[in-house]
Amino acid sequence: MRRLLMPGGMILLILAAALAAPVLPLPAPLAMDIMHRLAPPSVAHWLGTDEFGRDELSRLIWGARASLAVAGGSTAIAAAIGTSLGVIGGYLRGLPAFLAIRAMDVVLCFPPLLLAVLIVTLVGPGIVTLIVALSILFLPGFTRLAYAGVLQTRNLDYVEAQRVLGAGRARIMLRTILPNIAGPILVQASLTAAAAVVLEAGLSFLGLGVVPPTPSWGLMVRSAREVMGQAPLLLLWPCLALSLTILALNLLCDRLRDALDPQTAPRRRRRTMAAARPLAGAAATDGDATLLAVDGLTVEIATPRGPIRPVRDVSFSLGAGETLAIVGESGSGKSVTGLALLGLLPGAARVSHGAAVYAGTTDLLRCQEASLRALRGSHLAMVFQDPMSALNPVHRVGDQIAEAILAHARLDAKAVRARVVALLRRVGIPAPVARARAFPHEMSGGMRQRAMIAMAIAAGPRLLIADEPTTALDVTIEAQVLDLLAALQRSEGLGMIFITHSLPVVARIADRVAVMYAGEVLEQGPVAEIFARPLHPYTRALLDSMVPEGDGAEAGLPAGIAGNVPSLLDLPPGCSFAPRCALRRPACETLRLPLNEVAPGRFSRCPYGREIAAMAAPIPAARA
Amino acid sequence: MEPTRHTLIAAEGVTMRFGRAGFFGRGKLVHAVSDVSLSLARGETLGLVGESGSGKSTLGRLMLGLLAPSAGRVRFDGAALGAQLPPALRRRMQLVFQDPQASLDPRRRIGAQLADGLAIHRLAPKAEYAARIAALLEQVGLDPAHASRFPHEFSGGQRQRIAIARALSTAPDFIVADEPVSALDVSVQAQILALLATLRARLGVAMLFISHDLRVVRQLCDRVAVLYLGRVMEEGPARAVFAAPRHPYTRALLAASPRLGQSIGQPAPPPLAGEPPDPAAPPSGCVFRTRCPLAVDACAAAVPPLRDCGDGRRVACIRAGEGDDAAALP
Amino acid sequence: MAWVLRRIGASLLLVWVVVTVVFMAIHLVPGDPAELLLSQGGSAPDPAAVAALRGQLGLDRPLLAQYGSDLVGLLHGDLGLSLQDQSPVAADIAQRLPRTIELLCAASILALGFGVPLGTLAGIAPGGMLDRAGAAVSALLLSVPVFVVGTLLVLVFAEQLGWADAGGFVPIDRSLAGHFAHLAMPALTIALGLGAMLYRITRAAVLDVALRDYVRTARAKGVAPRRILWRHVLRNALSPVVTVFGLQFGALIGGTVLVEYVFNYPGLSGLLVDAVNARDYPLVQGIVLVISVLFVAINLTLDLLYAALDPRVRGR
Repeated sequence: MRRLLMPGGMILLILAAALAAPVLPLPAPLAMDIMHRLAPPSVAHWLGTDEFGRDELSRLIWGARASLAVAGGSTAIAAAIGTSLGVIGGYLRGLPAFLAIRAMDVVLCFPPLLLAVLIVTLVGPGIVTLIVALSILFLPGFTRLAYAGVLQTRNLDYVEAQRVLGAGRARIMLRTILPNIAGPILVQASLTAAAAVVLEAGLSFLGLGVVPPTPSWGLMVRSAREVMGQAPLLLLWPCLALSLTILALNLLCDRLRDALDPQTAPRRRRRTMAAARPLAGAAATDGDATLLAVDGLTVEIATPRGPIRPVRDVSFSLGAGETLAIVGESGSGKSVTGLALLGLLPGAARVSHGAAVYAGTTDLLRCQEASLRALRGSHLAMVFQDPMSALNPVHRVGDQIAEAILAHARLDAKAVRARVVALLRRVGIPAPVARARAFPHEMSGGMRQRAMIAMAIAAGPRLLIADEPTTALDVTIEAQVLDLLAALQRSEGLGMIFITHSLPVVARIADRVAVMYAGEVLEQGPVAEIFARPLHPYTRALLDSMVPEGDGAEAGLPAGIAGNVPSLLDLPPGCSFAPRCALRRPACETLRLPLNEVAPGRFSRCPYGREIAAMAAPIPAARA
Repeated sequence: MEPTRHTLIAAEGVTMRFGRAGFFGRGKLVHAVSDVSLSLARGETLGLVGESGSGKSTLGRLMLGLLAPSAGRVRFDGAALGAQLPPALRRRMQLVFQDPQASLDPRRRIGAQLADGLAIHRLAPKAEYAARIAALLEQVGLDPAHASRFPHEFSGGQRQRIAIARALSTAPDFIVADEPVSALDVSVQAQILALLATLRARLGVAMLFISHDLRVVRQLCDRVAVLYLGRVMEEGPARAVFAAPRHPYTRALLAASPRLGQSIGQPAPPPLAGEPPDPAAPPSGCVFRTRCPLAVDACAAAVPPLRDCGDGRRVACIRAGEGDDAAALP
Repeated sequence: MAWVLRRIGASLLLVWVVVTVVFMAIHLVPGDPAELLLSQGGSAPDPAAVAALRGQLGLDRPLLAQYGSDLVGLLHGDLGLSLQDQSPVAADIAQRLPRTIELLCAASILALGFGVPLGTLAGIAPGGMLDRAGAAVSALLLSVPVFVVGTLLVLVFAEQLGWADAGGFVPIDRSLAGHFAHLAMPALTIALGLGAMLYRITRAAVLDVALRDYVRTARAKGVAPRRILWRHVLRNALSPVVTVFGLQFGALIGGTVLVEYVFNYPGLSGLLVDAVNARDYPLVQGIVLVISVLFVAINLTLDLLYAALDPRVRGR
């Protein structure tokens, strides 16, 4: 809001000067004094006099009245009528509304200046003509905006909620829809006012707007042009006045837009395409046969309220041909972990600590961008949650798969095409030759995800990171895709990191699982063992939150875990799950334990694993 | 199922067609819901199960009178719903949305949003609003002092509690819950389901529970109806249907749902092949036949009627009796 | 293909609407149009002159007959006769239109030439030197009306420095260098404002696209940064640029009229301003009609270009 002060203040100042013109101690703007024509600035005439000896400053201030009258008048009329038409049309719909909106579109077929000229020819120039002509010109802008706003808003859930409650049309329009479209209308109004100032000045400049001798900035530029050889300064003043007014209106428009769309403001300063800085320090190499060994991975994001760490001290390892699931609820840091390994973190986030040694030799977190790029696709690949947004909408699916091949191999076009078709067939897409030529929007969600998988395996990677690849799919399609991934993993000997929020999916696809909560791995180990005998209270509580499958669940529905996930800005000092934990001891609130091997192959941050395992009945929900 | 004395709401042969826009009459008609008859008794919970595009949300809105059916009708408490619902009926039927983030107005305090229902139906004098709102918040397990907060100050689960409180504010007899927990995390899902179960028991409200999660439906619902491409495939008591599904689609759906206990170490059953057909060009006869493992030529001939099996269950499959043993699931 | 035909059909319909509106404009004005056109300065016009003008404009015939004969004339390229010298309007326009189109094209190419590349560079390094300088310069350029820019350029380069000719026009067959020298200043004047707009849109679009999931997918495939920029970022960022270019075209035509006037460039605008001052309605009508049809044609071209860029549009 404070950023609106400057342009707002400028506009108020111009407005005040124009309104106060009659009472300001200025010479009459029309008083001619041929003896002192084209006088330079002096005490009597601060900005000098024009070609008729009229006071330039006085004419400038009086000229503001013409500009602002036309801008204010036409904007107000167009906004009031246009918005009402749009709102009513959008809400009532039907044929009359449709025709009204289409009639508006006709106005848009004409270049604005020409339509104004046509009207001026018929009616004759003058301020009133200008206001009327510009109002007509600007009407469609407001009508369309309001109409679109209403159509968009009326389908929102919370507007439907009002209808369900039984609210009438008038109530919905006033309480729910108008506040929603008020912002864009204001932006449009400031934009329109600037356009009106430009058009008024332009028409007056052509001699088709304000009629002399009434002062107007456009007219002043016009007449100063004739004498610019003798008095170039005369040209400067109206130009300056015009440009400053328009600048103020444009600034107001920009800042209103920013204020209304909170997303744009913080995004501004981000470096988006910049390569992630590799970590300093020696690469910790590791001789054994594990495919990937992650140790102490920590990701940091700088925010206005201080740095937050959505991933802290995450360690795990993965063998070739093994599937590790990372499971966690929203905000657990599971997706950030996957992106960090491939060096695909969004702009503001960076790896601040840790190592991720691939194939025993390369630390992915310390790789230069160029060498990491050589690994992406050919050694490490990724499948994302929403294939619609992860595929480029303007390229054919086959071309996008070919791109993955060509990024790592030199092949002729024919060989690439054959390989693409083979890949599509491999992931179970029927009619692969035709499908290679399809655009993503022409495929179903399941087919898109299969294409995405084909792209991921195109350059023969050894490690596949799948980030919620089936979350957006229906159950029967999800089952197909899970089977496909499992089959590919077996046949290619892929190591797979499968990121998901669903425990049943983990059970279905993974060998081992890491349970994440608030950025940390709380427990890790073989899936069957963990699900049968969890050693961390969070894992236990999560399993207990699952609605039981069988019929023997006369106990009823589970209670879930009370309380909320802690904010990353305000993490508990001890165990991050302590505030919601039913087994919490005083020490849990201060002591933060590392991920310890509590049993062979079993890792947990909680020292009370044995007690949890011993409890038969579900843990009673803690009261937070 | 024949409407009885206890029937609160019934859809009778309801069909909903949507026109797809197209120039020069090339537009296609999509049958979102085709010839659906379902009913709910007072205090009963019916689960509505189906995948995306099965028409379950559309059916929910038809039952609420928010959409007018292209054919057939919906009766509420004996009266057929017209295009415009009288306020007295509107008050008695409410909706809980899937995404609590989207269903609450971000610009208004939650107290004001909870007061809307009271004001529209004049359910209490203005002086009592504060007390009524506090009671509503308490009923859904929230701190009454939070009435002056904005939606963004709450977590997802808390927002869904607020949305439930709003639905309860008009003291409805019938609530449609449209995937009320699928946007929430597992630990929070359980909280909300428990809340719904408690409220249902305490208030005796009938509920149409729309979900794609079979486990939840089995635990929460008295009866279940399985929808595929706008048609009811099978309907009956929830426990019975899930214990021994009779329609091949119900079976496939159950087999496909990932389960915690069953699958570790064991190979999953082969999933249903193919994808749902385009609703603008559904197959002739049984809409499921293109993916059905039991399909025979006769399935293409006519739409199989939803047969009453006599034991409170209905199924729309001409081979329902035959495959029971062969395709029975563990 | 069907989509393209439909789109062309819609444009033809639009042209018909434009023609009808221009035809109707004179009848929509309250009062007798002939009287209105002749009443300059407030004194009542001579009734004989009014009757003569009515006859000349065909206003004495029934409305439908006028409309019919106008439409038939239009199909034959007949836009009527000018009131000033009885010359055919179509011929007057045909002489001047190519010069205006040339100026429009030159300005557009210049604006695209610096607006889009600079906007791209600013968009891939937001917050950098170029981005910050670009924000200030483009805000300035967008705030100075085009005729002010033109007038100031004339003042500085022609009047004060004596570098260039103040304006005018040299036919291309007389002197190639002279032709382009006279084209340069007006074209640059128009291009500064338009380019600033294109710069802003390109920057915003590139910034937006660079954060999309499919750009991340391309990086995950190991695609080289240069290829990502061209094939994924720019390819998708062009769609909004095309859209905005189309929306700005109306203002661009207005700006061209003003700039031609400033530089004494003998395009359509001199003709237009003279015609308005002389209240030569048939000529004004003809010019508005021709430019509006041009406007519809440009928008159709841009729509087709948009569809070529984005396959999702075509299916509808």
